[in-house]
Amino acid sequence: MKSEQDGAAGTAPVRDLSYELLGIQIENPFILAAGPSTDDIDMVRRAFSMGWAGAVLKTTSVEGTRVDLAYPMISSFNHDGKLLFGMGNIDLISAHHIDRVEATVRTLKTEFPGKLVAASIMAGKKDDWQSLVGRLENAGADLIECSFSCPQGNIGEDPGKMLAQSVAATELTARWVKEAARRIPVSIKITPQVTDIVDVARAVQRSGADALTASNSVQALMGIDIYSFVPNPPLAGKSTYSGLTGPAIKPMTLRTIAEIARHVTIPVLGTGGASSWRDAVEFMSVGARCVQFCTLVMHHGFRVIDDLRSGLSNYMDDMGFSSPLDIVGRALPHLAVHDNLPRRVVRSVIDESRCIGCEVCYVACRDGGHAAIDRRESRIPLVNPERCVGCGLCPLVCPEACISLAEA
Amino acid sequence: MQREERTPPDKTAPGVFDDRRAQVEAERCLYCFDAPCTSACPVHIDIPAFIAMLRSGNAPGAAWLVRNANALADTCGRICPSEVYCQPACTRGKQDAPVRIRELHLYATRSERAREFHPGTSPPTGKSVAVLGAGPAGLGCAFELAKFGHHVDLYNDGPPGGVPLKSIPPFRLPEEDLVHDTGMLGRFFTAHDGTIDAPVFGGITRNHDALFIAVGLGRDRSLGIPGEEMESVFPVLEFLETAKKRPHTLRIGSRVIVVGGGNVSLDAAATARRLGAAEVTLLYRRGEQQMLVWSAEIREARRLGVEFRFHAKPFEIVGRGRVESVKCRTMRPGGENDDSGRPVPVEVPGADFFLPADSVIVAIGQDVSADWLTGLSRTKKGFISVDGKFQSSMAGVFAGGDAVSGEGTVVRSLAHGKQAARAIHEYIMRKG
Repeated sequence: MKSEQDGAAGTAPVRDLSYELLGIQIENPFILAAGPSTDDIDMVRRAFSMGWAGAVLKTTSVEGTRVDLAYPMISSFNHDGKLLFGMGNIDLISAHHIDRVEATVRTLKTEFPGKLVAASIMAGKKDDWQSLVGRLENAGADLIECSFSCPQGNIGEDPGKMLAQSVAATELTARWVKEAARRIPVSIKITPQVTDIVDVARAVQRSGADALTASNSVQALMGIDIYSFVPNPPLAGKSTYSGLTGPAIKPMTLRTIAEIARHVTIPVLGTGGASSWRDAVEFMSVGARCVQFCTLVMHHGFRVIDDLRSGLSNYMDDMGFSSPLDIVGRALPHLAVHDNLPRRVVRSVIDESRCIGCEVCYVACRDGGHAAIDRRESRIPLVNPERCVGCGLCPLVCPEACISLAEA
Repeated sequence: MQREERTPPDKTAPGVFDDRRAQVEAERCLYCFDAPCTSACPVHIDIPAFIAMLRSGNAPGAAWLVRNANALADTCGRICPSEVYCQPACTRGKQDAPVRIRELHLYATRSERAREFHPGTSPPTGKSVAVLGAGPAGLGCAFELAKFGHHVDLYNDGPPGGVPLKSIPPFRLPEEDLVHDTGMLGRFFTAHDGTIDAPVFGGITRNHDALFIAVGLGRDRSLGIPGEEMESVFPVLEFLETAKKRPHTLRIGSRVIVVGGGNVSLDAAATARRLGAAEVTLLYRRGEQQMLVWSAEIREARRLGVEFRFHAKPFEIVGRGRVESVKCRTMRPGGENDDSGRPVPVEVPGADFFLPADSVIVAIGQDVSADWLTGLSRTKKGFISVDGKFQSSMAGVFAGGDAVSGEGTVVRSLAHGKQAARAIHEYIMRKG
C-alpha cells in the first residue's frame, strides 16, 4: 500500500547543500550507513528518491561465504520512556554476495547517476579483499568501505576479534585494499573499542587508504531479563553480545571522531549514533566530512531526510555558512587537555521568575553537590554564593531550564 | 518482561491505565522535593515516591506505599476528587498539565490486587480501643491503631464500608474495589455487628482505653414544607441506598426534581437519569459558582442530561398521594455572607413558578442520627464538637468523619481517622 502521507504535506525548502567528498560531488552530507536499510535495491531507490545523497550498501562478501543469521537479532536499550535509546543487533553481513551487489551498484548508478553509491565489504584472505574491490570498481561504485570492525560475529582472519583491534592487521589489510582500488577511494571502518584509536587511525593513514569511517557499533550486552536471566535478544534461552548503536553511543562517537581528526589528515566519514541534523552538525564540527545514518532510519524511516536537510539548511543560513564543509572541524580548536582549561569562578543563578518550585535542584545539590542551595517558604530556592562552587549540576536537573552559570 | 507469577493489571477494568499508559504518565512526574501533591493529599501519600517506583517497574512497592497511607486505597483510586487535592498542587501543572495522580494510584493498587498487604506493625501494647462506625473514618482509624499495636474492636451495624458502601452509586465506585479494601482491612480489628444503644455504648466505654466515634450521618434533613410526606418524596440517602440494593422497587416516574447543590445531589440526579427518568432537574437556591461540588461531577451530570435550575427553592410540593408538581420561589444572592463565606440567598417576591414532577429527592444534607450520643457537646449545626486532635468533650472519647464536620470526601474522613489514631495513641500511652 502506498502511504498517503508520502510527500503529501510538501517538504520544507532546502538550500544547496552539495559539496565534494573524496572527489565525488554529493547533494548533501546525509548518507545511509551500511545496514538493513541498504540491503535491498528498492529500499535504496526509495531513499534516493526521497533525498538521501548516498548509500553504503550492506556489507557484502565473496560467493560461498556462509552468512548464518540467527533471529531475533535486534534488541533495545530503552531509557526513561525513550524507546531504542540504544539499539543492539546481532545481524551479520549481507546474505547477498558480491555478484548480486555488483548488479545492484550498476543499476543504481544508471538510475541515480548523481547519488553516491558506495559498497561495504568484508573478507578474510587477501585475494578475496582484492577481488571484491576490483569487481565493485568495475561495477561503477563511487567508494568502497571496508568493515574492519563489525562486532557481531566475525569472519575475519582472526575469529572472535575485530580486525581493527589490531594495528598491524589493520595496516596490512588496508594496504591490500588500497592496492586493488585503482580509480575509486577506499575508506576503512573502524571500531571505537581499542586501547588507542590514534594508533589505528595512523595505521590506516600509513596504508594509503583514502578515508576512515568512524565508528562502528559498540560491542555491548543489551540487557538481562531479570526473571529468566537470559540476556537480550533472547534466542531460546541463549544470547550473545550485540552491536550497540543509536543515541546511546553518540558521545562516544563524537570523541572518537575528534580524536582521529586531531591526529590524522585523511578525511573522516562520521557514523554511529547521530539521530538529527544537530547531531550531524556536531559530528562535522569535530571533523566528519559527511554523516551516515542507520538506526534513525530503522526507527523512523527514510522520511527523516526531510528534517535533516531542512534543519541543516536553516542552520547554515543562520550561521552564514555557504557549504556544509564550513562546519568541518570548527569545534576542534575548543578542545584542550584538562591542565590547560581556563580556571574561573562561576556560580549558579536561578531565574526566579521562571522557577516552578519543584526543588529538584535543592535535593540534587544537597545530596550530589555542595549543599549550596537553600530552601525558602516560597519553594523558590536560593543559591548560597559562599557554598556554590559552580559545579554545573543544578542547571542540568532543572525541568524549566531556569538555572544558569554566571561568572562570579 | 514480567515474572510469570506476577498478577497482571486487570486490563478489563474500565478506567485503569494499562502498563504502557501508566509508564508514560509516570514519566511526567518531576519528583519534587517535599512535594506539594503529598502535602495536599489529606492522608499524605508519598506521591513522588510511589510514582518513582512505578517508573522503575516496582509496582508492589508503589502499591504498598499507597495502601499503607490510605486504608481505602482502591476506593480512593476510583472516587478521590484528585482535582481538588493533589492535582492542583502538582508542579507539573505549571509546565503543561498535572500528572494524573489518581489514575496512577489506581493502577498501582489494581496491579497488585492479588498480593497480600503487610504493613509494618508495632508489637502489641495490650491497649484496647473501640471504634464505632465502619465507614472511612472508622476504618482509617482502626487501621492506624492496629499498626500502633493496639487491639481494636470495631462496632458497626452491617458490613463495613459506610457511605461508599451504602450510597455512592455503582457507576462511580465499582463495589468490588470497596469490597477489596474492606476485605483487606478485616484482619486489623475484631468486628462486632449490631445496633448501638445507650447501654451498649456504656459497656463499650467501660471496656476500652479509648473510643473513636465515627458514626457518620444517618438522618436526612427535611425541607419542612407542605407536601413532603407524599410517597414519591425521597430523602436522598434512602433513595441512593435503595437504588443500589433494590433499584426495581423505586418508582420515581419520568420527571424528577432533586433539591440541593452538593455532590450527593449530583449523584442522586445522575442515578435518577440512569434509572430511566426522562427529565431530571436539580434545584439549588444559590448559583453554580456556590456549589460545593467537583467540576467533573457537574460535567458528568450535564452529560447525562441533568438540567440545572439555580437560584430557586421549593416551598410546596403539590399532589394527591403522589407528587404532581413543585411550587418554587426564585432566589437571589443577598448582601450578607453566611459562615461558609457565600452570600445568603434571599427570596425574590413575585417570581414564583411551578415545575411539574413525579417525584422529589431531598438532598439538602444530613444530621447525626446516633440518639445514644447524649453526653457529648455538639456544634451549632448539631455535629459532634472536637478539638484539633479529634478529642470530644468527654475524656478518652475521640470523634471524626462526617459526624464532626458534615458531608465530606472519603479521603477527608480517612484523614480524620488517621490523625485521630495518632492522638488516641498518644493519649492512651500517656495514660499508662
